Amino acid sequence: MADAKSQLNLHLARLALRNLLGHPRRTLLTSGAIALGLAALIFLWGFNEGLHRNMLGNFQNSIIGALQIHRQGFFQHPDLSLTITNPQKISETLQKHGVTRYSQRLDTFGLAASDHTTQGVMLIGMDPLNEPKVTELGRRIGIGRFLQPDDSYTLILGATTANNLKVQLGDEVVMIGYDRYGAMIAESFTLVGIITSGEMGLDSGMAITSLATLQEMVDLQGQVTTFVINVDERTLPDLVSSLNVDLADQQLEVMPWHTMFPVMKEWVTLHNGFLYLFLGIVLFIVLAGELNTLLLSMLDRTREFGVLMAIGTSRRQIALLMVVEAVTIGIIGILLGTLLGYLIILLTGMIGIDLSILLGSTSRFYVDPLIYPQLKLDHLGITASAILMASILSGIYPAWRASLLQPVEAIRNG
Amino acid sequence: MPEDNRSPIIHIRDLHKCYWVGSMPYPALNGIDLELQNGEFVVLAGRSGSGKSTLLNIVGGLESADRGEARVLGEDILKMGNSQRSGFRLANIGFVFQAYNLIRVLSARENVAYVCQLQGKSKQESLEIANHWLHEVEIGHLGYRRPDQLSGGQQQRVAVARALATEPKIILADEPTANLDSTTGRHLIELMQRLNQSLGTTFLISSHDPDVKQAASRLIKLSDGFIVNSWDEETKPPVSLAVTCPIRNRSFGERLRHFFKPRRRTDQQTKQRTSRHS
Ligand SMILES: Nc1ncnc2c1ncn2[C@@H]1O[C@H](COP(=O)(O)OP(=O)(O)OP(=O)(O)O)[C@@H](O)[C@H]1O
Ligand SMILES: [Mg+2]
Repeated sequence: MADAKSQLNLHLARLALRNLLGHPRRTLLTSGAIALGLAALIFLWGFNEGLHRNMLGNFQNSIIGALQIHRQGFFQHPDLSLTITNPQKISETLQKHGVTRYSQRLDTFGLAASDHTTQGVMLIGMDPLNEPKVTELGRRIGIGRFLQPDDSYTLILGATTANNLKVQLGDEVVMIGYDRYGAMIAESFTLVGIITSGEMGLDSGMAITSLATLQEMVDLQGQVTTFVINVDERTLPDLVSSLNVDLADQQLEVMPWHTMFPVMKEWVTLHNGFLYLFLGIVLFIVLAGELNTLLLSMLDRTREFGVLMAIGTSRRQIALLMVVEAVTIGIIGILLGTLLGYLIILLTGMIGIDLSILLGSTSRFYVDPLIYPQLKLDHLGITASAILMASILSGIYPAWRASLLQPVEAIRNG
Repeated sequence: MPEDNRSPIIHIRDLHKCYWVGSMPYPALNGIDLELQNGEFVVLAGRSGSGKSTLLNIVGGLESADRGEARVLGEDILKMGNSQRSGFRLANIGFVFQAYNLIRVLSARENVAYVCQLQGKSKQESLEIANHWLHEVEIGHLGYRRPDQLSGGQQQRVAVARALATEPKIILADEPTANLDSTTGRHLIELMQRLNQSLGTTFLISSHDPDVKQAASRLIKLSDGFIVNSWDEETKPPVSLAVTCPIRNRSFGERLRHFFKPRRRTDQQTKQRTSRHS
């Protein structure tokens, strides 16, 4: 019995397919419209994803890393009394989790003074050996060089700050700050590098020296305030939660980039929101287009449906016929659209999309002028299943209408 | 089946049917009494609008009636629900209509096989059955053609083959030759006659066609919803709307529309109302 029933459903599904094949142009036009909408969405998702990864990658790589660890409260109130008590423990924990790309820093504030003027800056002591594993700050130094291991009292400034101070490579810059006891101190540094990134956040308000130099200057030998860690975005959430567990007794704050700079995350969310809006519009078009096709094809076959009912096809079976047609059109559209969209992503992902006409040749807001689209599978999944849902929905109304046909009237008037 | 050989295969008593156009009743059947025995070849004749199609549709369970009884194979078709009726049609009744009978996208044999597959038979088995019946209607060689590649007469043969493929007890045909030229029509009716004799299937056919009437084992003449036994139009009873059409049960929507759009009753309608109540 169950076998006869599945035979029967198969039979009706085959008839639905034959109806679609019998009108190849109508079927292809409808499926094709769905495919184009889906391909456009896939491309947009891919472009968006490429843009976000590029931007977030550049943002993290420029200075903040994917993740930072400080003493509890340091991010809000960076104070030299809040150094990390047991950096050894953090290093061990990171190594235990297979993290190799991390570096230690000492962050404080200071006043940079030249012969002409002074400028408030964030004074960062970086480890010349490990820092390049975490960030790509070195690549953004357009004039001069990055720190070297045996440097002593050398300084790197952002281009804007250097301009304001009217200093050049090799000039003396005096850094004025407070040591850990709160006593004012001043030391003379030699300018060895100037950051020319074009990003406001990097080019002004920062002064970088070696970790050892800064530790000596503020009398905090061997102490650090910050761990900067570089990990893949996909492993980040897991790492954060295991670090939170493993370092629970250390009075630390484990901060991924989006906790430190929620604006960046919000920007991504907003961007994706626009795409969901676009998805909604495409869904509406799919729904309306397919509904139109199916209704027309239903009206076209009114007489046929009447005959089918007269010879013993039940209302449920007639409805099933229409729904199968709708779903099939949707699936064909989704397959074609995925293929097309994937090809577009593959192609543009290889050659990149040049935004320099829009942005100018240098990067702006951490976005490179060349974007490589990338497809995220869950975006594809969401979009394809939404379109499938829309095509099922668009089949329901014509199916319902068809199942309400009165055979006699359908045969007479169809 | 509850019926034995002597009891009629179709049994109709006092069948009434009214169509309503707005609030105007059109009586289509005005008390039909009819019995068909197993294996008969009956032709329903009568002028256009006399109620032939209505009668066939009620017998086939495609339409409901207002009053009366319609037993087909011993079962009261008027008391069945929609899905029961469609199952009953599939199992017991073959339909042939005037035109456009076939599924456009299927070949002739697939059209015939369709009903067998609806009964849950496998595709293979159904196609074999289809081939058999296409041979029976003498177009076995045209099985792979689609309907638009067949002549009108050939299409009607496919329709007959499809009607026979489930081996029903009864075949209902509503003006099957109306769209055919007279020679083709005559051939089709001869074929049906032959099948009636060899298979014993009961045929009930409506037609204006003199050739079809000629072939009938019994001719029944309808006029204005009555069965008239003589060809004399004058003998039919007078039509009275009052006796034929019941007070209509309006649906809620219709009542609502009526409520918001009150119209003056015509004199005739007022008369009907009074006579109904008396
Ligand atoms: N859906 C309907 N709505 C209103 N009146 C109808 C409807 N169907 C049939 N009628 C009326 O019922 C009467 C009988 O119609 P029916 O179709 O049974 O006649 P017929 O004998 O088959 O005619 P024909 O030979 O033209 O096919 C006619 O007066 C017709 O106008
Ligand atoms: Mg008729």
